[in-house]
Amino acid sequence: MDFLKVLGNRRSIRFFDPERPVEREKVQKILEAMRIASCAMNAHWLRAVVVYRDDLDPETFERLKLPVAGVVMELAPVHIYCYGDPSVIAKDHGASPKQLIDIGALNPSHGWTHAFVDEFVWPQVLEPLSSSPNYPAAMSFDNGGCATQGLLMAVNLGLGACWTAFEVEAAKEIFAIPDDWVPHYVLNVGYPLESPGQRPRPPFETLYFEGRVGRPFARDEAVVKDLETEGMFQAPAPLPGRKDEVRRISRKLGLAE
Amino acid sequence: MGLAEPITSYASVAAWAAGLSRQWGGDPLAEDPDKLAALAAFCEFLDQDPDELLAFCFLRRRATGDRFASKQRREQLNGKLKQFVAASGLQGIEARRRRNHIISFLSHNGVLI
Repeated sequence: MDFLKVLGNRRSIRFFDPERPVEREKVQKILEAMRIASCAMNAHWLRAVVVYRDDLDPETFERLKLPVAGVVMELAPVHIYCYGDPSVIAKDHGASPKQLIDIGALNPSHGWTHAFVDEFVWPQVLEPLSSSPNYPAAMSFDNGGCATQGLLMAVNLGLGACWTAFEVEAAKEIFAIPDDWVPHYVLNVGYPLESPGQRPRPPFETLYFEGRVGRPFARDEAVVKDLETEGMFQAPAPLPGRKDEVRRISRKLGLAE
Repeated sequence: MGLAEPITSYASVAAWAAGLSRQWGGDPLAEDPDKLAALAAFCEFLDQDPDELLAFCFLRRRATGDRFASKQRREQLNGKLKQFVAASGLQGIEARRRRNHIISFLSHNGVLI
């Protein structure tokens, strides 16, 4: 699928076909997309546990669900639980940036040498970062980018997906999660039963600035038109007949109205 | 024991009716009498009226007096709902419909169990 269409087609899908399994190779492609995402120092903090809904016994599954996420998790046949592994930096001890130097991704032209890693990057940046209160936020920012690539791959494969929270303590026990892993969210994946419109967003100029906060980045309507033409901007929600669609799906799936 | 007042006279039922109407248009409670019948039966099962049933889901914080939806109470109510549906003898989609009517009543009153 065209990249801009993938961006434009993405929605948080909450109605999945509960009976239609997701092919294993598609799950792998989602994980492969996560793995090649941009990642500071090539550190790769993201960890994911793939769980097939139907492999869980009902009591175990019940323990994982939060009320607000329960229906989404029940309908999605595949759940990808995402975590951050903060031990990466301490274990790596500067090996990842050196690997990037060796393959020519980081170069002396930009100040990168093995000695620079040993004398500065490791002792003055990475090691202090790994014990800083900001570390979980930095790791989570990176992991959000990796996870989003997986989400977009799901869209590219014709799947629907939706992030939800989950019962962290139950998941830790059930999936043998190490004590130090930081829980993020679970990506619920399945074949979509709904076709909603694009969600409303805050005005562009209230989000993005030029030069300094308070000076909006001026939005060029010609660019907006281009993106409409290429499929990134699509019809806004609610699409005509949306409530009928929701009611029809809810009745088909036996959900509350 | 039946309800002391007509079921539609309770504030929580009025809120349910308003929520359904805002969501779907029309008057879904009048159009589908099973909804009110399910709620009336659940109230009888619990020996509570609809407002009491809803109030059961909320507690007040000792320190501030603020009202909050209690997780423990919601879980208790969910357990009672399972018992109610099982006791009804209904099976499959009929059992699920009955359960969903109660979930709809609760969610249009701000409670998700």
